Amino acid sequence: MARFSRIFVILALLFPLSQALAGEAPQEIRHEVMEGVRDAAKSVGGMLKGELEFDAGVVKESFATWADAAATFGDLFPAGSESGYDTEARDTIWSDRDGFNAALAAWSEAIDAGIAANPQSLEELKPAAGPIFKQCKACHEDYRVDDEG
Amino acid sequence: MTAKKLAWWLCILLALVVGLFWLLTSSRELDFSGPDSHSADLANGELLFHAGGCASCHGEALQGGLEMKTDFGTFLVPNISPDLEFGIGGWSGNDFLNAMKFGRAPEGHYYYPAFPYTSYSRASAADLLDLKAYLDSLPASRNPVAGHDTQFPWSIRRGIGLWNLLYLDDGPVVDLPAQDEQLMRGRYLVEALGHCAECHTPRGPFGGLDTSQWLAGGPNPDGDGKVPNITPHEDGIGGWSEQDIAYYLESGFTPDYDVVGGSMAEVQENTARLSDPDRAAIAAYLKAIPALPNEVD
Repeated sequence: MARFSRIFVILALLFPLSQALAGEAPQEIRHEVMEGVRDAAKSVGGMLKGELEFDAGVVKESFATWADAAATFGDLFPAGSESGYDTEARDTIWSDRDGFNAALAAWSEAIDAGIAANPQSLEELKPAAGPIFKQCKACHEDYRVDDEG
Repeated sequence: MTAKKLAWWLCILLALVVGLFWLLTSSRELDFSGPDSHSADLANGELLFHAGGCASCHGEALQGGLEMKTDFGTFLVPNISPDLEFGIGGWSGNDFLNAMKFGRAPEGHYYYPAFPYTSYSRASAADLLDLKAYLDSLPASRNPVAGHDTQFPWSIRRGIGLWNLLYLDDGPVVDLPAQDEQLMRGRYLVEALGHCAECHTPRGPFGGLDTSQWLAGGPNPDGDGKVPNITPHEDGIGGWSEQDIAYYLESGFTPDYDVVGGSMAEVQENTARLSDPDRAAIAAYLKAIPALPNEVD
């Protein structure tokens, strides 16, 4: 059993490599991660907007999706992935990596606080989700190419 | 006709043209009776401050200094903090109303319409005096701001008097049923203090707004791309519900959960500070205006 779990750990460690071998570029992976983040935002935002019923379970799941994304997102911008695959990553990610990491850390903190708050009603969701949403904008403004303007 | 006679006629004609220009471009101070007896509502003033997005151009400390590069020259946004020397702290209520409604400075000269008084002219005097009272309640900034750098003929400020005859109109742009209070409120916020059209509507050759293309999108003042069409046409935001619009103004999220970008990011920070009913009123107005397609470039 011990051996089995060791193999499992090794496989888990190799997983990012296997993804690379399978031909998925970091640009594609981060795009998928962001789509997951967006879908979770749709669920939570829909509740705040009054389009969806409040559901504590869905909120919890959404927060977990964001926490996972925030934990790995910073690793998805290696040198050489600045362009291609229609990436909207801005060159500031590489020229101001400290600022980018700080923005990600601020997002991560807001998510952790949201998870700790564990909102059980729409009234509790508002203050928990607000700071997390605010970070979306803060990071996109500085580190994403704005396709509208 | 002899050459001498012709010269005389030309002189008279020139004098007439100059005289007419002088007459048409004379700025007269309008006297609003009662600004001094107005009892100010500071909370309303603060709300209008955010609706107008004053800080987005004049700065968080109202210190001014932002450079606005336009086809007519570079404008430097002035200090509007209540500092007596560098700001507008010495202004009377009447001075403020003349500036906001007619683009007229207390010294008598005209402001350039980079300052959107053509929109603010639609605001009520009572609201503007509340706004002034709120501005006066903020800290003074000792930041000096240099003058504008404009090209001839735009450097002749007096010419703005002619421009005002063409473009300054304090009436509403879109005809809407007056009994619908929400639409009236939305129209007031968008067309007056919100000055949304200043970016979202294209301009004619002299820089005046082309109201036949009201809110159908315009060139991006920051450079590349376009400012979006926000009419209810499919080229605009026809696919957005009123709730989508109000939530966008509150949170910065589009219906696809993309985030607000470009210069709208700062505008949205202002609209986030409005009340829910005011955002809903803006949304209702934007759904009620004529749907216009994008102009083909």
